Amino acid sequence: MKHYLDLIQISAKQHKKQNRMTRLCIVLAVFLVTVIFGMADMEIRSQMIQAVKSDGSWHAGFLVDEEQGALLKARPEVEHIARYGVLNYHLRDGYRIEGIETAVCGFDKELLEMFPAAELTEGTFPENTEEAVLNESAKTRLGVQVGDTVSMATPQGEMKQYYITGITKDTALEAEHDAFGMYLNTDGFSALRPEETKSAQEVLYYVEFRKFCNIQKAIREISAQFGLEEGQVRQNAKVLMLMFQSQDTYILQLYFVAAVLAALVVIAGIFMITASMNSNIARRTEFFGMMRCLGATGKQVIRFVRREALGWCRTAIPAGIIAGICMVWVLCGMLRCLSPGLFEGLPVFGVSYIAVAAGMIVGFVTVLLAARSPAKRAAKVSPLTAVSGNAGTVQAVKRTANTRIFKVDMALGVHHASGSKKNFLLVTSSFAFSIILFLAFGTAIDFMHHALTPLRASAPDLYIYKEDYTNQIPSGLDEVIIKYPGVKRAFGRGYAEFTIPGDGSTLIVISYDDQQFEWAKDSLIEGNLQDAIDGKGMLSVHREGNTFAAGSNVTVSAGGGEKETSIVGTLGDVPYSYGADSNTDSMTGMAVCSEELFRKLTGEDGYTVLDVQLNRDATDSQVQEIRKVMEQECGGSVAFSDKRIGNKETKGASYSMSVFLYGFLAVIAMIGFFNIINNIAMSVSARMREYGAMRAIGMTVRQLNRMVLGETMTYTVFGVLLGCVIGLPLNKVLFQNLVTSRWGDEWSVPGWELLVIVFIMLGSVCLAVMGPAKQIKKMTVVDTISRE
Amino acid sequence: MEILKVENLCKVYGSGEARVDALKNVSLSMQRGEFGAVVGASGSGKSTLLNCIGGLDEANSGNVFLNGRNIFAMGENERTVFRRQNIGFIFQSFHLIPELDVEQNIIFPLLLDYKKPNQERVDEILEVLGLTNRRKHLPGQLSGGQQQRVAIGRALITRPALVLADEPTGNLDSQSSQDVMDLLCKASRHYQQTVLMITHNMNLTSQADRVFQVTDGELIELGGVAD
Repeated sequence: MKHYLDLIQISAKQHKKQNRMTRLCIVLAVFLVTVIFGMADMEIRSQMIQAVKSDGSWHAGFLVDEEQGALLKARPEVEHIARYGVLNYHLRDGYRIEGIETAVCGFDKELLEMFPAAELTEGTFPENTEEAVLNESAKTRLGVQVGDTVSMATPQGEMKQYYITGITKDTALEAEHDAFGMYLNTDGFSALRPEETKSAQEVLYYVEFRKFCNIQKAIREISAQFGLEEGQVRQNAKVLMLMFQSQDTYILQLYFVAAVLAALVVIAGIFMITASMNSNIARRTEFFGMMRCLGATGKQVIRFVRREALGWCRTAIPAGIIAGICMVWVLCGMLRCLSPGLFEGLPVFGVSYIAVAAGMIVGFVTVLLAARSPAKRAAKVSPLTAVSGNAGTVQAVKRTANTRIFKVDMALGVHHASGSKKNFLLVTSSFAFSIILFLAFGTAIDFMHHALTPLRASAPDLYIYKEDYTNQIPSGLDEVIIKYPGVKRAFGRGYAEFTIPGDGSTLIVISYDDQQFEWAKDSLIEGNLQDAIDGKGMLSVHREGNTFAAGSNVTVSAGGGEKETSIVGTLGDVPYSYGADSNTDSMTGMAVCSEELFRKLTGEDGYTVLDVQLNRDATDSQVQEIRKVMEQECGGSVAFSDKRIGNKETKGASYSMSVFLYGFLAVIAMIGFFNIINNIAMSVSARMREYGAMRAIGMTVRQLNRMVLGETMTYTVFGVLLGCVIGLPLNKVLFQNLVTSRWGDEWSVPGWELLVIVFIMLGSVCLAVMGPAKQIKKMTVVDTISRE
Repeated sequence: MEILKVENLCKVYGSGEARVDALKNVSLSMQRGEFGAVVGASGSGKSTLLNCIGGLDEANSGNVFLNGRNIFAMGENERTVFRRQNIGFIFQSFHLIPELDVEQNIIFPLLLDYKKPNQERVDEILEVLGLTNRRKHLPGQLSGGQQQRVAIGRALITRPALVLADEPTGNLDSQSSQDVMDLLCKASRHYQQTVLMITHNMNLTSQADRVFQVTDGELIELGGVAD
């Protein structure tokens, strides 16, 4: 031993057990921070993969002319640039292949790198103006191959011949609109309609900026340089948001929430480490007193405590980071198992450097900050404390335990918890902190369930509809379709628009079968669903300024006459938008009713829409079979929308969001869990000498356990109460902002969230008491009372 | 009437080269109302003897009978309850419960039995201890001497057959030490309780009926060999 600080290592060897708890706290805090930041990082990566797949990796698009395009390309911050033009985007301009509307895109080859979804499945990119790439859908329906030729009619009456050089996957939009897609190079596109495509309004320059470039600043500069208006600049909002480069108000709010979240996690980590270090120091008051007695200055004691804390970091921080990384791997593995196709880009063994840095910083900084107060306290220990043998290991007591209300063991337990106001407030607050976090972020789950509508049980894979909104799909067709291989469910909906006599407003009425009513059950805000199923009235759909309140009667003009029916309830929302041609101002309402009532009101028994849900293993040929049947039964006037790609994308986004949100809730629950266990273990360790004396006087192990239980329950009950007092209003405010304002669902006490977190806390209490109970049972009375 | 009987008590710590024979075949017996003092050098085995007699520590061999009951034959829980009802402990560093006031500390063993204390008895003890006007004070508000008096009150409240005191005056000034000795004598003489006290201070043994010396784990009664 050459230096007084060498005592740290010698002391550490002697006090392995005592230090283990503090190390564990640091490991846990670092683990939690690493997991949270790692999960957030992986979530951003997975969302980025989704975003790039669905929207492309471009950052901004500029509608500029060729000259400006050349200047844009020369800008230093531009990494990649590609021209893109589209004709017949809305599929009504008359570009047709064999009579079917075809979207024609022209772009530079570089654009393929920005749009992974447009990747060629076979063949090559067109080299000259007579070459083209077709989408899979066109290839299948036209029965053509690479090397064949197709003819396309233009609105000008010309027939253009194209040699097929390659095939590309359908985009979600093409599949949904059952459209053909043809891709030309920019020269071919120019040749198709030179006068149109040369205009700046038709050619968009997609740009990918260099790394670390301030994209918003670059966009502002480019807009100013070329005098572009807002409509001439597009931003890839999702990608920019995920790059933290967005200026959108809503996204800035999300950044703010993320920052608050990160701060809360860091605070939780600081709480844990500080509490454990305080307790560790408090247990060794006499040791520090002895150091002071032997001549150590206050500064030397502070240095001793700090160096000791940093020594713990040496092993605890790497352990926490490694455990955190492993946890993130497990979560990424889960995502890849859930949806291998969508998350193949997500690294299973990826390391999030942000998470590692956050874990290290939180670990080191927190330990150093947390060591400040105990170090100062240790330095203040009077040398007399060591020699008097009178050092209180417990904080000074100011009031007496109440042995009149409780039995003495329970009374002492309650007093141990509530004796020191400061300690009581700290521990109770840290317990409440978990509940507040849990309740606050529970609303994100509600938000997710509402926001990701296509993920609902009712989401169709194939959406077959009459474009003119007439109920001409035969009502028995769903029964026919369901028998086809690959079909899981088929269900139809009638559609009718009624005018309300008097105020002239419009009411859109949709018919539901029993299955759709079953799905609507969760959206019912008020009223009686069964009455609607029985055809006694309609369920209105919530909307701002909705005049069709539950319990009211409504008279509609139908078929030249007027019919009256009643509103028997209100639904928060339906997964369908208002009709395309409907007036969607506040004068338009929506309601759903049974098929029977719909028939009575309209005199029609067909459907406007037929939804088909497919089995997971349904093939494209099975889908084609269904299409043929539909065309046979309904003629050409029926539109066929394949939503499988879109559903898959949304499902992927939803999976990753679910894993992130539920994972986050699990981590919050873990914080609460370990916090309770840790606090109680610390408290028991600090009072071990007192417990020894009590055992000597005649307190049984069972009575001591009851005392620890009393202490734990006091913290927990008050923690839950405080958590509810702050957490419930916060939950209400967040729910109203995130859900009520958009979907109308009224806030109610989040029963299951409360139940889950209280259950977790009670489980933690049991475990928290079990550890010390074992310790107390093993305790040797003689050693305990003669210690120090 | 024989209250305490110790037979061939042996206690060994460690093994091999580190083996320490803390008690070697110690035997003694004490009658009701006797006041015994145990003296000996540091590490001689005095405290080990007291802890074994009180059932805080287990001996390697031998027996301790209190009121005819062998405490080593009892289970852990039974021994704890027996201890709080039949043995009063007084420690050098008091070991009062900081959250309980003077009166609560004194009646603590009764509260552990979930019994309602006899208020007259409590008042009497407080009177004897000279703590009547301090009954609602917390230990932290008392001097060392007063704290030790509270510890004595706690040891006497259950009217135990045996009171074991481990250096009860070790942390006290001379006046407080004398007060404590007077109280222990009173317990022995007035309440007919058997008291066994460890002390370093030979002057204090003058008030004892019998004096034992422990040397290297062996017990002898000064002026004659113990039973």
